[in-house]
Amino acid sequence: MRRTITILLTVLVLSLPIAEATAAVETTKKKVIVVTKRFTGSAFEAGRWGTLQVTITVRKTTTITGTKRKVERKLTAVSVPTYPDHTDRSVYINSQALPILKSEALRAQSASIDMVSGATDSSEAFAESLQSAILKAKKA
Amino acid sequence: MSAVLAARPGVCRVEHVMGMPIVADVRDAIPADALDDVFDWFRWVDATFSTYKPGSEVSRIASGDLAIEDAHPDVRAVLDRCEELRGQTGGYFDAHAGGTLDPSGLVKGWSVDRAAEMLQTGGLRNFALNAGGDMRLSGRAVPEFTWRVGIQHPLDRTEVAAVIEARELAVATSGAYARGDHVLDPHTRRPPEGVLSVTVVGPDLATADAYATAAFAMGRLDGPRWTARLRGYEAMTILADETVLSTGGFPHG
Repeated sequence: MRRTITILLTVLVLSLPIAEATAAVETTKKKVIVVTKRFTGSAFEAGRWGTLQVTITVRKTTTITGTKRKVERKLTAVSVPTYPDHTDRSVYINSQALPILKSEALRAQSASIDMVSGATDSSEAFAESLQSAILKAKKA
Repeated sequence: MSAVLAARPGVCRVEHVMGMPIVADVRDAIPADALDDVFDWFRWVDATFSTYKPGSEVSRIASGDLAIEDAHPDVRAVLDRCEELRGQTGGYFDAHAGGTLDPSGLVKGWSVDRAAEMLQTGGLRNFALNAGGDMRLSGRAVPEFTWRVGIQHPLDRTEVAAVIEARELAVATSGAYARGDHVLDPHTRRPPEGVLSVTVVGPDLATADAYATAAFAMGRLDGPRWTARLRGYEAMTILADETVLSTGGFPHG
């Protein structure tokens, strides 16, 4: 019985500073900054189809709590300002493939896939331009 | 491709070499220039092995200007390995399938394997090297505990047909949808029927890539049967009716 009380007291003593700490966090000022920016990746040769370039829109949320700073970036849109269109075939491929590739980039993010195995000429250039746009976004 | 933007340690670099994007995604804390040697290596491989550059050693061997005995030791090693794999695959992996010497099917994986060794010798543990959709994984995708690789669905590119979760692994996919019908059955000189893609995983990317090419060329009956007998390598075959056949140890996520 005595032991149980000791343990209870210990728990109580230990929990006191934690409760104080929690209260301290709640009273500290919290500041949230949201910035949306566009980043354009390098232009890449999409094999024999021509040049392809990708622009991404990234929403950067900076949460400052006391001295703590948390940065979250979210990919909100992918667009293709320059894409291969110098042959009839590549126009066809782009009209078919690029909207799909865009949704794939957004989906890959939600599925948290690190890499994709098996790709076409056009999607390789797409991935590359996307990757360089993401690298720019991460440095910003 | 990596579309995850959360802050994490490491460096991700992508360059267009050997006619394809090469992505180095390193999850160890390293200086930005730590990958210079690896990309210099890929450029050297391109200059030496390219079939598009008339001055490359491979082009000069193909045209008869350079004897194999006089070629760089790495060139001789790659051509020897091509011959070994031609034997192992019953001629379905063949560096002469197109009529002239073209070891590109092995060079890609071989150069990535060597680059992975360079990074490991340099003390790196957690990285992925992806050359045009074929890759070597090492360690884990810090902060995650594994690497997650999506296998593109050959008919619907909005879908991944499967997800692999792995740490140390090479992943190669061969299919009709990559660069058009570029894989031919060397015996018939026609694309195989009834198979959409073959993914092979194992310790070595050069071998995995050659096995994937060979199994794809073998077609829908012999390909899966052949992959079932491989040692140390696992395979997933997607048939034209979207049936997915996997060997027992394939690392489905």
